[in-house]
Amino acid sequence: MANIISLLIPSLQETLYMVFISTLLTVLFGLPLGIILVTSDENHILPNKSLNTILSWIINVTRSLPFIILIIFILPFTRWVVGTTIGTTAAIVPLVIAATPFFARIVETSIREVDWGVVEASISMGATPAQIIVRVLIPEAMSSLVLGITITLINIIGYSAMAGTVGGGGLGDLAFRYGYQRFQNDVMFATIIVLIILVQTIQSFGNHLAQKINKN
Amino acid sequence: MIKINNLSKIYTKGKNEVAALKDINLQVAKGDIYGIIGLSGAGKSSLIRCINRLEEPTTGDIYVNGINIVTLKDKELRSARKKMSMIFQNFNLLNSKTVFENIAFPLRLIKIPEQKIQEKATELLKLVELNDKSNSYPSQLSGGQKQRVGIARALASEPDVLLCDEATSALDPKTTHQILSLLKNINKQLGLTIVIITHEMDVIKEICNRVAILGGGYVLEKGNTIDIFSKPGNKTTKHFIEDQQKIPEKMLSGNILNLSFTDGSANIPIISKITREFNVDVNIVSGKIEYIQEKQIGKLTIQIDTDRHKLLDIIDYLNKNHVKAEVINHG
Repeated sequence: MANIISLLIPSLQETLYMVFISTLLTVLFGLPLGIILVTSDENHILPNKSLNTILSWIINVTRSLPFIILIIFILPFTRWVVGTTIGTTAAIVPLVIAATPFFARIVETSIREVDWGVVEASISMGATPAQIIVRVLIPEAMSSLVLGITITLINIIGYSAMAGTVGGGGLGDLAFRYGYQRFQNDVMFATIIVLIILVQTIQSFGNHLAQKINKN
Repeated sequence: MIKINNLSKIYTKGKNEVAALKDINLQVAKGDIYGIIGLSGAGKSSLIRCINRLEEPTTGDIYVNGINIVTLKDKELRSARKKMSMIFQNFNLLNSKTVFENIAFPLRLIKIPEQKIQEKATELLKLVELNDKSNSYPSQLSGGQKQRVGIARALASEPDVLLCDEATSALDPKTTHQILSLLKNINKQLGLTIVIITHEMDVIKEICNRVAILGGGYVLEKGNTIDIFSKPGNKTTKHFIEDQQKIPEKMLSGNILNLSFTDGSANIPIISKITREFNVDVNIVSGKIEYIQEKQIGKLTIQIDTDRHKLLDIIDYLNKNHVKAEVINHG
């Protein structure tokens, strides 16, 4: 038992590190992309048809690639960014690249749900497009965005298990090496239980936070 | 204050073109409460939304305070919009912000010291009588309260013009009345010019000093509310004014006349005069007296048993006494 725990703790730390840094970067890149997807629409506040079409196309292409292929496909890019292709930090690069377009689509849906009437009211008050984005679209969509971040976070946990198998470390890697390759079922079960608790905790926390923000 | 010249608006969808507004000419004077009424699809919403260019006019000019809104570039348009606020049928409040923050919202868009914002928003909360709701969220308010927040928010930037886009259409009659009284007070206290679009005749009757009737994209009639009401010259106008007075078919036999009395004639005992002078019997089918802008308008439907010759004399006599008579059925 103590043996399993001593195996689990460093792996859990690796997973948390990978997942949270990846989520942070995903939100950082995905949020603006999602907002551009909505606002560059032909009837929205910053219409730009070609930008909208190109961005949408790139997002679709990235989302079409199976994650395991994506990891291999972008190895040179990963090396260029972090200097290596192995290890937890190196795993963050494909995780962010896979999750960003996914999150951008989620942001797009959330922002589109904001009542157009409220946007029009802001336009009628002389708000600039930047003010509408920062003061209207994001705050009005916040509850939905929090749920979107929760979904993305949990998705990244799933992806991180795959990243683990190519040298990323973390819980997925642990389950694979000890549980699968060495037939240590107890390690496998322990890992799964930790993952279940992790996912449940994140989802409950996300739901709770979204509920608190929602004033509708 | 507002001058609309030859305004038209055409919506294009693929190859289809729909003209929502055709050659609109209107003038709204400072301090007016100008009502624009029409059935749904008449183009009234397009018209008011062209004034602050939430919709782009296809042709024509719109002058607000001497500035042609149509030709303004983005930045100038934004500052012009701050001087003409709008309130909406669905209130369009920010659900994520408190009542106070909703009212402060237009002030936060411009760089104003926090203390000024607090003062102004508090003052407006008092004006719309929502002091106790300052920290509530819109979802906790009734429709009437939401619209009062909308009005306070609209007044925050100290506009010259208030545009009301079906502002009372989602409210019950009692709340509508309260909102209209509030608008009237604001109009008097602040000298604010108000443009109201509505499909409810009662709204026009209650607060508008001037009215334009819109139908099929055209202005069918315009003028002082009292004049339009007493002498409606157009079919659509009549529809709005007379639709409360439905008289059953079977009552419409013999010579039936619609009479409209205005200020000059409402005090004359015209019916007894007719019976005496023309020696006829007059049967009253329906009647009522309305008050528009604190002025009387009498509407009377009468039945007279007489020949056509005498009838023409009677109509002549009525017109001389400033009573508008219209024959709606010949006996």
